[in-house]
Amino acid sequence: MFKLKSYGRRNLYKSIFFALFFIWLSFSVEAYNQGQVAVTLMLFIAVASIVLLTGLSGQISLGQGALMAIGGYGSALLIVNQNFPIWAALIGSIAIAFVSGLILGIISARLSGPYLAGTTLVIALAVPTIANRFESVLAGNIGFMVDFKSPPAWVTQIFGELGYEHWQLIATLPFATLTFFFISNILKSRTGRSWKALRDNETAAALLGVKIGNTKVFVFAISSAFAGLAGALYGLRGIVGPSVYAVSLSLSLLTAAILGGVRSIFGALLGTVIIVFLPDWIHDVVKDLELSEQISNFLPAFFAGALLVLTVVLNPGGIASNLHHHKKKTGQ
Amino acid sequence: MLIIKNLSTSYGSIKALTDVSFKAESGKITTIIGANGAGKSTLLRSITALETPTQGSITWDGTELVGKSTESIIRSGIAHVPEGHAVISQLTVEENISVGSLFRVRKNKSDVKKALNDVYELFPRLMERRTQQAGSLSGGERQMLAISRALVSRPKLLLLDEPSLGLAPLIVEQIIQTINDLCRKTGLTVLLVEQNANTALSVADHGILLALGKLIADRPASELRSDTSLRAAYLGY
Amino acid sequence: MDIFLAAVFTGTSKGAIYALVAIGLVLVWRGSGIVNFAQMGQAMFSTYIASTLIINGYSYWIAFVIALIIGSILGVIVDLLVMRPLSNKKGSELLDSQAMKSTIPVIASLGILGVLQSSAGMIWAAEERGFPTPVSNLGFKIGKDVAPFTAFDLFVIGIVLTVLILTTIFFTKTGMGLAMRASALNAEVAKLSGIKTGQVRTLSWAMSGCASSLAGLLVTPSANLSPNTLDLILIIGFTATVVGGLDSLPGAVIGGLLLGFIISFVNVYLSPEDVFLAIMATLLLVLIVKPQGILGKKDSRRV
Repeated sequence: MFKLKSYGRRNLYKSIFFALFFIWLSFSVEAYNQGQVAVTLMLFIAVASIVLLTGLSGQISLGQGALMAIGGYGSALLIVNQNFPIWAALIGSIAIAFVSGLILGIISARLSGPYLAGTTLVIALAVPTIANRFESVLAGNIGFMVDFKSPPAWVTQIFGELGYEHWQLIATLPFATLTFFFISNILKSRTGRSWKALRDNETAAALLGVKIGNTKVFVFAISSAFAGLAGALYGLRGIVGPSVYAVSLSLSLLTAAILGGVRSIFGALLGTVIIVFLPDWIHDVVKDLELSEQISNFLPAFFAGALLVLTVVLNPGGIASNLHHHKKKTGQ
Repeated sequence: MLIIKNLSTSYGSIKALTDVSFKAESGKITTIIGANGAGKSTLLRSITALETPTQGSITWDGTELVGKSTESIIRSGIAHVPEGHAVISQLTVEENISVGSLFRVRKNKSDVKKALNDVYELFPRLMERRTQQAGSLSGGERQMLAISRALVSRPKLLLLDEPSLGLAPLIVEQIIQTINDLCRKTGLTVLLVEQNANTALSVADHGILLALGKLIADRPASELRSDTSLRAAYLGY
Repeated sequence: MDIFLAAVFTGTSKGAIYALVAIGLVLVWRGSGIVNFAQMGQAMFSTYIASTLIINGYSYWIAFVIALIIGSILGVIVDLLVMRPLSNKKGSELLDSQAMKSTIPVIASLGILGVLQSSAGMIWAAEERGFPTPVSNLGFKIGKDVAPFTAFDLFVIGIVLTVLILTTIFFTKTGMGLAMRASALNAEVAKLSGIKTGQVRTLSWAMSGCASSLAGLLVTPSANLSPNTLDLILIIGFTATVVGGLDSLPGAVIGGLLLGFIISFVNVYLSPEDVFLAIMATLLLVLIVKPQGILGKKDSRRV
């Protein structure tokens, strides 16, 4: 699936640039912003999974947050109960999320459009309920305390002493870079194009020999794996608990994907940046207006919702599609 | 009178109709014939705004139709029976016909009742099956139903798209004769699209031959019937 | 026995409300081919307005009627400002794909939900409010015993029954009802019959908005009012439509009642914490066994 063709080499260079850019960025900003960039990288992985699932194969999911939760809880359980080292727990979380995605995909593969949306929404809503119901195993409302711990010696040797937020960023970066690389390749590969056929014209795809059911399930599973990884990393910021993976997370992820451009990996990055930094940007703009706390609390959510509606109606391809307007891109 | 001038309609980059011009006289049956893909259906669909022409004008009784909405074109006295005996399967026969008269009911309640009866007189088989679901009717009955829905609005211009499609010759004969009678008795203007040129030309006054979106011939039906070379070249018989 | 009867009555009255929500969803689905996830957000908004009116001294009934009107107007606004432009949009590569065509309006409705919820938060803050009932919410007293149902339960069942009867008459006996059914079943034939399908569609959005506002007014007394309280009701309503069949109005009623009973019995005989799991189990069960719902037709393209 990943024969390194010409697009593969181009994506490799882009990925290296991606990694170097963020390393440079991490040293250029302060701790608070480092934390935000770290979160951006974590959520980027999840938003990229939506690019695969929705942008490429046309299946809508309002429950990527729940898959993040599965990854997060999976890794937390491995760390707390089985004493796994962090890297092993992350790999474990990918596997757990992949299998969950398979199961979810099997249930959902026959659904489309609103049925799929509604079902995934229900699953997203189930997270806090299930966490509370099985309190003994899943630590209920309080959740698990896990974190990135301190950087190992070899990291300190390369980068020098790192603050906690800085370390979060550096630790997340390889995963984000790999995600960038893999998904960019999938989008261009022959496999990716067969998934695109699912989205554009199922009947034609079936006639061309694409096994619709199996493919849909597989895409679900792969996308879940990425979301699970994102969720595990997200949880390592400090807590894995129901409030961390609320429904609003799923909706924010979808909003980020649409705003940035649901068919482009670069769009995923753009959208995530917007979603993560929007509250602060709004705060900066309105802080002189002396708005009541009531209003300023809800302003970011209001803008996110309004942006989503405006994007869908006026510019459904997202920001990335405007940037690609001049370049003649075939296929996407 | 229906006047088509320089009409062109495209589906994306495919030119379905190119620069078609002709006139269809009131009270007469004009038939549009030609092979598959000639643009016949597109022509009818352009008249009732189901497709938007890229250029040209369509005037009926002096009023320009291009730019108007489908609903307002229908309400001005034009009826269109699309191909494939399109009826609403989940509604009953009577409901299907009533749908055709809904827009007239408020102003013309008594006439609507009369129109309903007239239509049942025309097609007694439908009367028998009034309360049956349209989806359970045979092909021929569905075609009668589709035509009834169109007729109950008392149109002045009737567009018929391939009424013979998929039907047994006996039924086709019945339907075509009914239309013919209706036209002669009430002065209804009929635009009849047909693949079965023979049948169409047997009742039509005038014929329009289309091929690949272009107008090939615009002649009295009797002339077209006897022009064997044209028939062989474009109609295959 | 008493507990059982109480569960039955609660199930019926709550089920009636869920049926209303389901009807609202089905109306828009049949009219526009969209599942409107913002529906209960609209209901929440109009209920807030009703609540504000009541707090400011207006009678329950005036607030009630105004909420219904506002609910209808909100439905019309969503259709005209968002859904119509979406369906008219051509030339967007994204919208050309089959899968995205039905997905995009769903995403739009989620955005609208977010706007409605945050607006409600900005206008009325996020604290929970109570909401009054027009009749007693406590058990009837028959002699020395307390009946297993309340006057409010009867009120709810009565209103929903009335709505059902009116809706049935509308669809089977009126011209507009026939026009709406025709437009939903075959838009092209409807247009060719001179029906203004656009106006009919907008009317279905108005009716849906009204039905969901009604549901909001009826369910809020027991749930308290805050920007997010009706989220669960949306999920229940959605599950009800899946159970009953997304294109069937009678199915919506059956689905709503069924869910009302399931939730009521789980609440009483198991525990309130299990309610959500029961809803989820019901949803998944139906989707696996009979995805088109009890009264739905097998249209493989839609499900």
